[in-house]
Amino acid sequence: MPSTRVAVDVGGTFTDVCIMDEDTGQIRIEKTPSTPDDPMRAIITGIDDAGVNLADVTMFSHGTTVATNALITRKLPRTAMVCTEGFRDVVEIRRSNKEDLWDTYKDVAKPYIPRRDRLTVPERIDAAGKVLADLDEDEARRVAGILKRRGVEAVAVCFINAYVNGQNERRMKEILQEVMPNVHISISSQIMPEIFEHERFSTTMVNAVVSPVVVDYVSRLSDKLRDGGYGRDLLLLHSGGGVMTPASVKDFAARLAGSGIAAGAIASRFIGNLCGYRNSIGFDMGGTSTDVSLAFEGESTVTKDWFIEFGYPIRFPSIEVLTIGAGGGSLAWRDEGGSLRNGPQSAGAHPGPACYSNGNEVATNSDANVVLGRLGTSLAGGDITLDPALAEKAVRETVAVPFGMELHEAAEAIIDVANANMANAVRLLSISRGHDPRDFALVAFGGAGALHGAAVARELSIPVVIVPPNPGVTSAMGCLLVDIQHDFSDSFMADAATTAPEDLEAAFAKIEAEALERLRHEDVAPENTVLQRSVEMMYMGQWRSLAVTAPARITSTEDLVASFHSQHEREYNFRREEAPVSIFRVGVKATGVVPKAELPSYEVRPQTPEAKGPREVWFGGAPLTASVYERSDLGAGAAFTGPAIVEQLDSTVVVPPGAVATVDTYLNIVIKVEG
Amino acid sequence: MDAQETQDLDPVTFEVLKNSFITAVDQMAEQMLRTCYSFVIYNRDFSNALHDAEGNCIAQGNADIAVHVGTLHYTCKDVIRVFRDDMHPGDVYAINDPYAGGTHFSDVRLIRPIFDGDVLVGFSQSNGHWSDLGGSVPGSFNVAAHEMFGEAVRITPVRLFHKGRYCSDVANMIAANTRDPGSIIGDIQSQAQATQVAEREVLRLIEKYGRDQVLQGMREVQDYVERSVRQRISDLPDGTWASVDYIDRDPGAGEGMIPIHIRMTIKGDRITYDFAGSHPTISSIYNSADGATFSAVVAGMKTFFPDLPLNSGFYRMVEIDAPADSVVSAKWPVAVTGFLMPFEKIMNTIFEMWSVIVPERAIACAFNLEYLLAGGNDLRKPEKPIYMFYEWLPGGWGGRNGKDGSDVTTACFGTGLMSQPSEGNERVNPTRADEFQIMRDSPGPGKWRGGAGVIKASTLLEADNTVISYICDRERAVVWGVEGGLPSMPHGLEIEHSETGEKMWLGSVFSNYRIKSGDRFTRPTAGGGGYGDPLERDPAHVLEDVIDDYVSVERAEKDYGVVIRVIDADMLDYEVDSAATEAARSEIRANRVGWARMDPSAVSQMYKDGEINELDAVRRYAVILDWGTGELMERSTAQFRETFERRSIAHWS
Repeated sequence: MPSTRVAVDVGGTFTDVCIMDEDTGQIRIEKTPSTPDDPMRAIITGIDDAGVNLADVTMFSHGTTVATNALITRKLPRTAMVCTEGFRDVVEIRRSNKEDLWDTYKDVAKPYIPRRDRLTVPERIDAAGKVLADLDEDEARRVAGILKRRGVEAVAVCFINAYVNGQNERRMKEILQEVMPNVHISISSQIMPEIFEHERFSTTMVNAVVSPVVVDYVSRLSDKLRDGGYGRDLLLLHSGGGVMTPASVKDFAARLAGSGIAAGAIASRFIGNLCGYRNSIGFDMGGTSTDVSLAFEGESTVTKDWFIEFGYPIRFPSIEVLTIGAGGGSLAWRDEGGSLRNGPQSAGAHPGPACYSNGNEVATNSDANVVLGRLGTSLAGGDITLDPALAEKAVRETVAVPFGMELHEAAEAIIDVANANMANAVRLLSISRGHDPRDFALVAFGGAGALHGAAVARELSIPVVIVPPNPGVTSAMGCLLVDIQHDFSDSFMADAATTAPEDLEAAFAKIEAEALERLRHEDVAPENTVLQRSVEMMYMGQWRSLAVTAPARITSTEDLVASFHSQHEREYNFRREEAPVSIFRVGVKATGVVPKAELPSYEVRPQTPEAKGPREVWFGGAPLTASVYERSDLGAGAAFTGPAIVEQLDSTVVVPPGAVATVDTYLNIVIKVEG
Repeated sequence: MDAQETQDLDPVTFEVLKNSFITAVDQMAEQMLRTCYSFVIYNRDFSNALHDAEGNCIAQGNADIAVHVGTLHYTCKDVIRVFRDDMHPGDVYAINDPYAGGTHFSDVRLIRPIFDGDVLVGFSQSNGHWSDLGGSVPGSFNVAAHEMFGEAVRITPVRLFHKGRYCSDVANMIAANTRDPGSIIGDIQSQAQATQVAEREVLRLIEKYGRDQVLQGMREVQDYVERSVRQRISDLPDGTWASVDYIDRDPGAGEGMIPIHIRMTIKGDRITYDFAGSHPTISSIYNSADGATFSAVVAGMKTFFPDLPLNSGFYRMVEIDAPADSVVSAKWPVAVTGFLMPFEKIMNTIFEMWSVIVPERAIACAFNLEYLLAGGNDLRKPEKPIYMFYEWLPGGWGGRNGKDGSDVTTACFGTGLMSQPSEGNERVNPTRADEFQIMRDSPGPGKWRGGAGVIKASTLLEADNTVISYICDRERAVVWGVEGGLPSMPHGLEIEHSETGEKMWLGSVFSNYRIKSGDRFTRPTAGGGGYGDPLERDPAHVLEDVIDDYVSVERAEKDYGVVIRVIDADMLDYEVDSAATEAARSEIRANRVGWARMDPSAVSQMYKDGEINELDAVRRYAVILDWGTGELMERSTAQFRETFERRSIAHWS
């Protein structure tokens, strides 16, 4: 059997196993129902069903929701925190703000480690890193003894000002290890050495609580794969968009939080780049929600402001994904002020849209799409049959009658509101960051992405929509397209005007040594190692920094400052040439390049495809005759114009009137929506 | 009205415009957060709005601080009043005038008229709390001011950009009157850009939907909110509800708390708030002008309609009557920088009245906002010795119907506001935090206890000429419980002088108090008031609170009558002694009304003798003392007891 690569994306409903033939680039997908109690079972079933011989696998990568789910469901092992005396409650005081400002009955969740398991020891470092008080070792041993008796499985060590000097934390860790050799210990000065205690403590806390869960899962899966004959390292997708090996998971377990969501963004960026669009917006619309991501000049945008639960930031860099409550199952409703609303409530998978015949009677986006003829009544190759009468009834009763509209007018109103809401989400990620949507392509995927993609693009003046060959399993493909990647950073707070290039070089030397060591640890060959530097800067007095790319050898601080001015102007529309600039942090992204397999490509033969039939589809208040195509009939070079519908196993593509669709060499459908 | 105005937009266009207006102000917020200079803005003390051409508010940001709600349309209208015939595309105006509907001088609003061609279609407004606006105290909170002249720079409407040209003369003049001119210029840039973000969005909408439809949408979103509020109010029974809350004192008068009376009437779909009986303005900065009072009413009410968007459609629904020149209707030049003190009293009183009408959202009193201001010379930094900072702490919110209060949360005037990290403060200022954690026993006892407050203690490091000021309240008008619940604890700051080792109670409001290196200042914040009778609290809940150390074993018995035995604290092994609990509860039940009506001077004596502490004084004996000396506050106690009778005793069985 030829060598293959396997990528597994575990979702809430299905586990997708994506198998790629290394020689031909051919991809096939095995879908298996997920097994949330132990996600590994579905993975093994999927691999078996797909007939994969693990001995032939040269790369096994995996996007996992184990960490995320453990955090959301709070099925976490007992974990303790050891803090500086007087600072037991940093993670409970947080920044004291609320997610919902006005609802006094909606609280921020309590910290992952309850107050009773947060203990303190005397020690103190000052803001300059000077040791004011050594760790009180007798107390440290006493605390370790208590935690041992309590049977905790992990400990977070979080001391004030440890970001400048981690000496006392490291000593505390040694003592804990002496007393409890088998317990996971995360210390803040190693996990996230940056200023501001809550953000650092919170990241360390998350790392500690998920460590036992993730490490156990990863080692069980590794063992299982090894038993099956897989001879390489299992690669795990992390929130930053790269993968890491089990050797690093032991130290940075929290990087796997958000692993699942990154895959779609990576795939979308990849497809955009493949089609020649280095600026692309990922539009992944499923049954209950839509994930929006953005790639600019070929790179995904990354954020350090994110969390799984509000109030507990995870400061590891993460691909920025904005999730909104709009999906195929989102409900349409009339509020008391008489406004037509859409979502965020959803009919979910059960009972699902009205047309699923499972008892829901409220109109959803899918019902409206059925009424408009955009969604066919036979899905998944005939496995699912939709009832158009129920869809009509729901649209009529939920929207048409209350608003005094005709049936089709009501259905179109539902879709228009949904599309406008999604377009607003894209606006927040693009326009408000200084990006012009006209310079972007929209990559539409997920079960419902291609149904709405063209309309959302038009709403935003995005000229092109790309629909990949398998929209429903695009995320799994994302896991195939990754490199080993780690992010390292260190505080560097200084006035740019008085910072010599050598000072920056010295700071980079320190974290680059760490980065190279980490990649060596993961068996990355030196020729596959890439280090990318960045310097975070701000106008002196500002509170948020901007990361500016820095060269591999810094010869002039002024050049960095010039890049900062330009980037500030691009993102925020103003610059202050005369204002002093300060440096906040230095960072290195360390990549171990994994050789990519080529996706299969086909000879482009311009052709007019044959429709499997006409269908009446409503656009702009009128019934039009649309050609309906079967996706598998569309070869590279096929071209057709809207109104048209393309049906395939896991998705439906809508090509609106006036739009021109072509199928490219990778079988992506590229829709030019202008016009 | 012409046909255009009466015709409704189609539902899709309406919904799209409504959401797009909100997205536009959210984009302004994003821009401000990323580019601001003032740390107060960075910690989310800001707001943004879109207005129609008359200055009415169309949309306000989702995450904006509560205290600005209901004030932005006033300042927009004042700008229109001044520049009516002289507005041009590319103009930006500034205003911070509390006497024209603003909040306090620190909140500076930048307002940009939006033109479609040469037709004025609306305004965008960006409002941020600048770190300093001059005056005699760093941070522009001069507790000792009686009139505004010693407080800060008052900016009546001025032009900062004229047809796109930056008026550096005006900007520099404002900046030159502050302690941090560089940051002020930076914030002007940041906010002016934020207003431009909204202008761009409105023009995009006009291009897509046409001017008439967008203007129609601006009217309809207000009507929509008004209709929703009216609908909900008419669903409620008609009636009148009344209550009173207090500011601790008038420093220019004798002892005795300053009442704010509110009488709320619902009739059909109308609602009015009458402040008759409220005290005349006082000789501190704890006065509120009309705009801020209106905002407090709206913010309090909005808490009971959390899902409704905020705009002038909501504001039209609220009618306010207030006696002239009262503590809630101060006029120029009365000092109003401390308006948040009356503001939070109004808000909590509205909580109390609405809790009766909408019991499923009931909530007891929240802790009081507090600010510590400090300034002097940092001897660690000879090159840039002057430092100043102010910091605020979170505290507990009131117990709720079926739920304990929210622990360690920002003050109710602005739940979006973030508390500050100790590490940031230590890096910039010559202070070190010795302790910053949850304050044991701070939650007001109740069947559903209040949320927990915190305690922070800091030591002054190498510094010269340092003075501190403290802006707080509810040292006497102590955070109260409802439905039989008990109060939390008095606010106030204590100082420990390093040379003498002497500890001094400085209370909840003082200014320019001189401290030296090594001096340590400690202040707790109160928890929330309790909801319901604490003797009815499930002992299992009390046990959990003891295990987590929110409540001490001692106070579990005193406040809840729950007797807990410690078996092995290291292993968190505690148990409720049921028999002893039953006995303790009957003893409290038999005596508590008598305790709460006991001769106050006898209570004062017990306090002086060290037999009881301040928690006993307010929770058990309902007595207000000078917490430093133990002297009885006779009038304040009488006022406090009157409300204690009504909020707590009347509900005990």
